Amino acid sequence: MTVTLSNTPVLTTERLTMRVPEMADFEPFCAFVCSDRVRYIGGGADKDRLHAWRAFAHITGHWPLRGFGTFVLVDKSSGAPVGSAGPWFPECWPEHELGWTIWAPEAEGKSFAHEALIALRRHAYADLGWTTAVSYIDPENARSIALAERLGCRLEQTAPTPFGDGQTLVYRHPSPAEVAA
Amino acid sequence: MIPTLTTERLTLRAPAMSDFDAYADFRASERASFVGGPNTRMESWQQFCAIAGQWVVRGYGRWIAADRETDEPLGVVGLHHPLEWPEPEIGWSMFAAGEGRGLAYEAALGARDYAYRTLGWTTVVSLIDPQNERSMALGARMGCRADGVFQHPVFGPLHIWRHPSPSELAA
Repeated sequence: MTVTLSNTPVLTTERLTMRVPEMADFEPFCAFVCSDRVRYIGGGADKDRLHAWRAFAHITGHWPLRGFGTFVLVDKSSGAPVGSAGPWFPECWPEHELGWTIWAPEAEGKSFAHEALIALRRHAYADLGWTTAVSYIDPENARSIALAERLGCRLEQTAPTPFGDGQTLVYRHPSPAEVAA
Repeated sequence: MIPTLTTERLTLRAPAMSDFDAYADFRASERASFVGGPNTRMESWQQFCAIAGQWVVRGYGRWIAADRETDEPLGVVGLHHPLEWPEPEIGWSMFAAGEGRGLAYEAALGARDYAYRTLGWTTVVSLIDPQNERSMALGARMGCRADGVFQHPVFGPLHIWRHPSPSELAA
């Protein structure tokens, strides 16, 4: 028996198809979570398949519970999943986030995340009705900071952070009106 | 997407956001001490998502056991199969509001029936902490017998209780 997430959107951009997670995404996701590429978002080489399994079930289960969630980014040319990104709102988040991760090192440096986020931000504003969005970024994650700036986000000093840790940077995305202008 | 079952007094259904507070209260309590808790609210959120997420990645999973009349969430019961488990198990956790009325037994029977009749499984186990006397009593009531020990990398030894097979139940 197969249980799939039903009535979920598929978004396409020039080079990407974005869809909900599937079982076949687990191995590439696991390779990512168990690598040091994840050091800024709670993963790392000290993490194992067990941790990756729980993280994968988390991003998958977020969909039916919230009615929205993280998309898997599939490279149209190869059919391979290269990352995940999109609307994210775990229980302890102060507000709606747009997140992004590129899983495979070979997929980095191609502006996939930028391409995805332009479409995903539009999805959050137009389809989900969000009126604002933030991205939470580790202060040492220079690549993600650069992407946030490229997306027009502004650093906010006073916005609440997940867990109130005060360590995470909060980048506020341009509003729906500003994006449309 | 997630099937719904009914038993005499319960609905076994997909988790919903409205169940989360009851689930988080359970995970934060000493009642969760045999199932990896107590947990913070964020840990509980990840585990709550994983209840729904396992259905997608495995094709089977656990339900919220809700009062059939009021829909109040009373526990989490069903086919639990994290990556490191030796095989799928019937798991049961009742919240305080669901205790003492034989509801875990009723829900676990429904889950076992689903595993055998709907999914066609020929065997199933339950993994029980050897200190968890109430769960061991339920395992015994369901006709399970001891079938070794699984050494969990974090939780330590969990006793494997094997349920009667479909043919044994039919006999």
